[in-house]
Amino acid sequence: MQRRDFFKKAIVVAGSAAVGSSAIEAAETVHPIDNRKVSDIAFPEKRPLITYSDRPPLLESPREVFTSALTPNDLFFVRWHMPMIPNYINPNTFSISINGLVEKEIYVSLKELKTQFKQVALTAVLQCGGNSRTAFKPTAGGIQWGVGAMGCAKWKGVRLKDVLKKAGLKKEAAWIGFNGEDKAVYSETANFVRELKLEHLNDDIILAYEMNGEDLPYLNGYPLRLIIPGVYSDSWIKMISNITATKEKQQLHFMEKAYRIPDNECECETPENLVKKTKPIEEMNVNSIIGYPVTGTKVRNASSLVVRGVAFDGGHGIEKVEISIDGGQLWEDALLDDGSEGKFAYRAFTYAFKPKNSGKLTIMCKATNKKGETQPFAKDIKWNHGGYKYNGIDEVTVEVV
Amino acid sequence: MKKLLLIVLLMSTTLFAQVEGGITVPYIDFPMKEGKGMYSTRGKCNMCHSWGYTLNQGLQSKKFWYDKVMKMIVVFKAPIKTQKDIDTVVNYLFENYGNGELE
Repeated sequence: MQRRDFFKKAIVVAGSAAVGSSAIEAAETVHPIDNRKVSDIAFPEKRPLITYSDRPPLLESPREVFTSALTPNDLFFVRWHMPMIPNYINPNTFSISINGLVEKEIYVSLKELKTQFKQVALTAVLQCGGNSRTAFKPTAGGIQWGVGAMGCAKWKGVRLKDVLKKAGLKKEAAWIGFNGEDKAVYSETANFVRELKLEHLNDDIILAYEMNGEDLPYLNGYPLRLIIPGVYSDSWIKMISNITATKEKQQLHFMEKAYRIPDNECECETPENLVKKTKPIEEMNVNSIIGYPVTGTKVRNASSLVVRGVAFDGGHGIEKVEISIDGGQLWEDALLDDGSEGKFAYRAFTYAFKPKNSGKLTIMCKATNKKGETQPFAKDIKWNHGGYKYNGIDEVTVEVV
Repeated sequence: MKKLLLIVLLMSTTLFAQVEGGITVPYIDFPMKEGKGMYSTRGKCNMCHSWGYTLNQGLQSKKFWYDKVMKMIVVFKAPIKTQKDIDTVVNYLFENYGNGELE
């Protein structure tokens, strides 16, 4: 039977963020879904966001958010793995335990974190590895995100290294496991534990209690979360309450099966030929998103239009962002902000021009990092089964009137 | 640029936004498609997570849904005990949230 016959079936939409806006499945990667509306119900400490689930909460930022270098806390996306999240944490009694292969098992309270360790701040992009997953065809497994499973914040906290030092790692410790307060419904279900290889520990990895000058919102991991700049957010454990040092890597579903890509040059595979050898998704691809205008915006002919957006990569730094208004033939440099937020932060960009003809106009943006890595066209992005690491050239289409 | 600067400046002052007494996550209704096995599937899946988590996986193959159900049983200890129950859930998912492909 022909594949497309199947897609003639009616697709019933359900829920506040339903899938299935495209009825024909293409063989090549497309642009992520871009027409989803925010829910009419706001979650705690959040403005209304695109809502995929309430249990666990899965919320996406709308495109309009991506015009400034920092993402406001109440517009910041949310992704939990376990449905049972504590709805109250007492900051006066909360502490994090450090155990396993340590000289002494310790508990460190929030107050101690804030007073007995060197306080550090850094700005870093937090992005889900499956951001823009809707671009992949055939549909890859996982939440069907549009472009908004990402944000950038100024995080304040203490170095993980310093906290580990206080407990004193034993010589044979090689892996550090992180566990948060979220739980599954059944007690037999393993927690969402992630691990870091000790040799990857560096000064930029912090335990943060503050986000953009405020306490972390509950849904972003109050009162404490792990920040690992430059890598996708699968290990940025929220409501972190335990750190365990081990000699061997633990056998964990979320490490061995989830958040992995083919271990080959193109990090790609086909549905018929899945690659057996896999690796963690880790370093973020260079990427950029247009926050304004959005598709469908009406702009005046010959009046000045200022395109705004953000660009980032895994920490090499953004070299340039280019804009095309002719379908990707000619590219012109956008203006970048001063980059003072550091190499792990968004670079906000602007590009001003005057549309010359009425009708539909497509605006594209493309970032290149200091390593020379640049974004491919959406159609040239290769498929992987989890729909990870999409970084196709972004585009919006406005109407010039 | 000025606007950006203003936002950054505003954010650098410390605010204490923590909510008193915790939060309540709202209930959101994600309606299930009517179909054979809907009630059984609801009972087995939705006790642990919202239907939104399921339907927002996108339209998928029968193998995808079978693998997901098995993952829920093996990894997440979902109480789906018999082969008949597995078939009921997989068939409901594929008939209502399928892409027409077996594999």
